[in-house]
Amino acid sequence: MEKSTAQTGVTQASFWTVGRGAFALALLAAALFPVISGSTFHFHIAIMICLAIIATMGLGVIARVGQLSLCHGAFVGVGAYTSMLMVMRLDLPFMAGVVAAVVVTSLVAALIGGPLLRLRGVYFVLITFALNELFRLVMLEFPGLSGGSSGIANIPAASFGSLVLDEKATFYPLALISAVLVVALVALVDRSMIGRRFSAVEENITLAESTGIATARTQNLAFIIGSGIAGFAGALMAHYIGFLSPETFHFELSVSYIIMLVVGGRLALWGPVVGALILTPLPEFLRGAMEFQHVFYGVALIVILSFLPNGLVSLPERLARLGGRK
Amino acid sequence: MSFLIIQSLVNGVILGLLYLLMAIGFTLVFGIMRVVNFAHGEFYMLGAFAAYFAFAVAGLPYPVAVAGAFGGAIVLGAIIERVVFRPFRGDELSGMIASIGLALILQNLALIAFGPDPLSMPSLVSGAYNWGGIILPKSRVVVILGSMVILAIFYYFLMHTRTGRALRALVQDREIAAAYGVRVELMYPLGLALGAALAAMAGAFMAPLFGVSPFVGGTPLLKAFIVVILGGLGSIPGAVIASMLLGLIESTTSTFFGASTADIVVFALVIAVLLVRPSGLLGHKEA
Repeated sequence: MEKSTAQTGVTQASFWTVGRGAFALALLAAALFPVISGSTFHFHIAIMICLAIIATMGLGVIARVGQLSLCHGAFVGVGAYTSMLMVMRLDLPFMAGVVAAVVVTSLVAALIGGPLLRLRGVYFVLITFALNELFRLVMLEFPGLSGGSSGIANIPAASFGSLVLDEKATFYPLALISAVLVVALVALVDRSMIGRRFSAVEENITLAESTGIATARTQNLAFIIGSGIAGFAGALMAHYIGFLSPETFHFELSVSYIIMLVVGGRLALWGPVVGALILTPLPEFLRGAMEFQHVFYGVALIVILSFLPNGLVSLPERLARLGGRK
Repeated sequence: MSFLIIQSLVNGVILGLLYLLMAIGFTLVFGIMRVVNFAHGEFYMLGAFAAYFAFAVAGLPYPVAVAGAFGGAIVLGAIIERVVFRPFRGDELSGMIASIGLALILQNLALIAFGPDPLSMPSLVSGAYNWGGIILPKSRVVVILGSMVILAIFYYFLMHTRTGRALRALVQDREIAAAYGVRVELMYPLGLALGAALAAMAGAFMAPLFGVSPFVGGTPLLKAFIVVILGGLGSIPGAVIASMLLGLIESTTSTFFGASTADIVVFALVIAVLLVRPSGLLGHKEA
């Protein structure tokens, strides 16, 4: 009995190394794909994937303390509006807008995190859902800030001094580097003391509390980091798309981040990457049949929840285990 | 001014009744299955389509259309409980995410089948009552009476039948209910079927007033959501109080300050209540 487990262990390990190598190669190929093809359309999709990876990474950090936020899209919105206001109203450079976006979203998260995170499970989901709606309604009510229902157009492109990234091919490196940096940041958090505290809280909050972990502070920290990352994604989005309206940050945006996170893998580092990589291009390729794409999203969500609760990233491990059992 | 107040109070009670029909099904499903059902609005939408096709296209009498919506929703609800929700029993978060998937599927299948354009349905009756300046369209009176009849039947079922008592026992304490012989296996599909049927009948009633399209489920879902947050998830008395409160707040604020202010006031109220009493006004305390 013991021998056979040891053997499966070996198969699993080799499968994992091969799997990881192949995964890294596939990612690299995907990242370079638009550069090789040179198509603006491919650059656009690749940029949208990078932005989705960043935002979903942030949602993943919040999921690491066992909470599912339905107002993540609103935090992307706070970041987008902050950066837009800094650049368009105060004439600050792009980088200052991005920094301000991260600072402001983190501050908002810090302010509301305390009372909000006293709620758990479905109650946290309910209040974040209400907050997302409130954000959209308030934005519609203050057209001076947000342009109201007609939105704000002609947001200046991202720029560093005289280097203006106003084309898809020039914006792509920025989006890709940003996505890689965010993944690296989350990997660092995962490996740190904070990351271990996060998973202790996620696994059993009562137990974590009794071992002396300040669970409220830990959850707040995850919420602040995750929302700050959402703000970063929002700032990039504002200067890439060049147009913002309150409807962009409808609760459906939050839902789409949740779908990517769940399909990719709720608690895995690479979950958001896999989820965004697979689900972002779909609407572009199924343009003629948007409805079918949404039906597919719904089916994928339910099927993956039932058969692969840890998302697509757990598929190699699952297959290895099945292979080992044979 | 006093006319305005009375008129908006009357409208508030009407709104409250509509919200109650949606919210009771929603809160029942949560109480029994522990699922926050994001697809509840889609059952409303399907009920509205069922009524449209039965009444406006096939020319059947309106009560038959409502009964059809009821029957269809019962069957569909039981099937959906088996296929979609059963794998996630005991896992509130996964069940809720699955319901988001279900909502996407139902709404977009309706979009494929019926197209995006709103269909308008002929009104059941025309004209309005006018009591010294307070105006009440007759079509709304039909809706009010219909909702009240359904709510009364549902109340009787829940309070005075064996199955109704079993459902209530399950909401209060599933382990003790199971120990006393409540067949939980049958109650789950029944719970979702009933919740779906109440939403579908609300849809069938509202169709002549608000029209029919694949997207009509969004607002009723939002209202049901607000009502159960205010009243407490799983609490039926909470749903009654909160629907009336919401209806009255909405109609009075929108009379005096406009509809978008009313929305903001309502959402701010919801957030305030949740922060002070996380389980709502009458909700059970969660561990």
